[in-house]
Amino acid sequence: MPDVVRESVFNLQFPFTRSLGSTLSTFFSALAQGQIIGVRTAGRVIAPPLEYDPDTAADSGTDYVKVGPKGTVSTWTWVPEPTHLHTVKHPFAFAFITLDGADTPMIHVVDAGSESAMKPGMRVEATFKPVDERVGRIDDIVAFVPAADPSPSAGAGDSYVAPAENDITMLDSFCDLTYVDNTSASTLLWMESLLKGQIIGQVCPMCSRTYVGPRNMCCVDAIELDESMIVSVPDRGVVTNFTIITPVQYPGQTETEPFVRVSILLEGTDAVMAQQGVLEIPASEVRVGMHVEAVWAPESERDVSDIGNRGWGSGGDCIRGWRPTGQPDEPAENYVERMM
Amino acid sequence: MARTENDIAIVGFAQGDMVRRSQKTETEMMLPVVAEAIASVGLTKNDIGFTVSGSCDYLSGQAFSFVSNVDAYGAWPPINESHVEMDGAWALYEAFVRLMQGDIDTALAAGVGKNSNSDASTLYTIEMDPYYLTPLGADPWSLAALQARALLDSGKATERDFAEVVSRNRANAKSNPKAQLSGDFDIDELLAADYVRNPLRRHDLPPTTDGCAAIILARGKKAYDLCERPAWITGIDHRIEAHLPTMRADITRSVSTALAAAGAGVKNGPIDVAEIYAPFSFQELIIREALDLDASTEINPSGGALATNPVMVSGLIRMGEAANQIIKNGKRRTLAHATSGPCLQQNLVAVLEGDE
Repeated sequence: MPDVVRESVFNLQFPFTRSLGSTLSTFFSALAQGQIIGVRTAGRVIAPPLEYDPDTAADSGTDYVKVGPKGTVSTWTWVPEPTHLHTVKHPFAFAFITLDGADTPMIHVVDAGSESAMKPGMRVEATFKPVDERVGRIDDIVAFVPAADPSPSAGAGDSYVAPAENDITMLDSFCDLTYVDNTSASTLLWMESLLKGQIIGQVCPMCSRTYVGPRNMCCVDAIELDESMIVSVPDRGVVTNFTIITPVQYPGQTETEPFVRVSILLEGTDAVMAQQGVLEIPASEVRVGMHVEAVWAPESERDVSDIGNRGWGSGGDCIRGWRPTGQPDEPAENYVERMM
Repeated sequence: MARTENDIAIVGFAQGDMVRRSQKTETEMMLPVVAEAIASVGLTKNDIGFTVSGSCDYLSGQAFSFVSNVDAYGAWPPINESHVEMDGAWALYEAFVRLMQGDIDTALAAGVGKNSNSDASTLYTIEMDPYYLTPLGADPWSLAALQARALLDSGKATERDFAEVVSRNRANAKSNPKAQLSGDFDIDELLAADYVRNPLRRHDLPPTTDGCAAIILARGKKAYDLCERPAWITGIDHRIEAHLPTMRADITRSVSTALAAAGAGVKNGPIDVAEIYAPFSFQELIIREALDLDASTEINPSGGALATNPVMVSGLIRMGEAANQIIKNGKRRTLAHATSGPCLQQNLVAVLEGDE
């Protein structure tokens, strides 16, 4: 017997591709070649470079300067248990590192072996990924490690002449977020009713509106509603609005032919069930004012795992859809303003 | 000083339960808090001239969550409403500016955060600079710890000072019925804990809190109609610094707080009580230095963000707590501070005054 769902896990992924602009393109193209650069602006070298001097908002220009690969740690912290987001999978330090030839620090990883090796003023040196593994991203530098030779970096502060065209102009940044939403009390009641093959609503004692399903609030009067205000409502109603959708085959889309989605005002209620499917007739025959009734899935096949707190009135996989009852239509003008 | 129709005051404040994991949606969390704030000054929803909230879709993981949240206001007939994707303290700032237009005399500012739906260490890492920080997994705890280490190395504070901030705030929180974490903590025992990010220990970090708060503002004579002793906002200012922490000349100083404090007129008189939003223990020390408060100023009698930290609400709570020191406790002049962004990037300071 299917049960209610008390927590829903949502995974949001955004496969962003960012354009870098001229300054960052120059930086990342050089980085992929194993060269770290900064930009000289208003008498100081900002490294890694920024398009604008944050102190003045002036364009940083194109006076690029070679910096590093050695630098000096100012402040640091120790990450004893790296997460999936960190680039180094064993304990490591993050640090402010002012590269030779630069006037501002950068934040990067220091792979020093142990926490006790970290101290302000320590000299570190960049280690790069193998050339064929570099993609023009800040972690093309695997980490900074304690410098074997603390002497100044050769060539730091020299001018860097950018190529006419940069190899790297885009950055793939894959954003992956997981949420665990707990099902609210009112949504749990809704799930329970659907699993039983019933539709419930909640009546506001102030305005007498009946919401389908329960929301534990009246969004007109801004008062809390409770379980004593739950009512059973008919699984029959009238189509108030519809749209016919020609499916685009995005990932997860199972429909292949044009299909209809309708809003239904159930008998005796004041809030429509939106985005419902229609069974047994072609989409082209759906009309505002048409009487419909719910077609329930067999009890053993009902499933509420698609129902969450976000969006009311979803029937989940409990209601297969709605079919015409065959009663004469209601006048459309009585229903067309009941979109929501 | 006699108040005029251009003066704006906090007259009502309500906060809901502050818990590690609310069983409610953001909207459900908001509705009773908004209703309580409005009722506390004897108004109804239809009396409010302007409504604005602060919240963040990324926290709850719901697109346009702030639109759903409008249901908590009973927005029918339609209301004049706005939203900031920021702490409710900045929503209050918008309400303050809106009231200055002079055509309305009441406003509601709310903040809500369902922080327990997401993992803070992932969420805030993805919010960082996408070119230079996010690909490294530069998480919020590490960035704070870099600032904390710099503060230690500057000689301005010790790890014992950090623990003292924790101990004092959590002891203060014992008298705050809304506090999530409170109690008496021995400083030596705190210092014996392992580092989460050297030099920060678990207790130096804020708790994860779900919660909501709401404040009623009123202008001019209306404030006296609604509140016997309004908390007049005599100054409010907020300033922001460069987004990369490495571009600040000295990360142990909060220049934006100092500028906001000057703009808000902090030095125009003594401050009886300051409510400071310092998510990490040591940041209270940085903010206090920037505010340049007298030793006589009481800090965070509420317990602050180390006791309760509903992100998107914590700054607004500081406003409400500082106001209640005037409205309910008869204090003369108080301060509320709010912050946002990594390493105290953005800071807001408000000065509140009761009548003589």
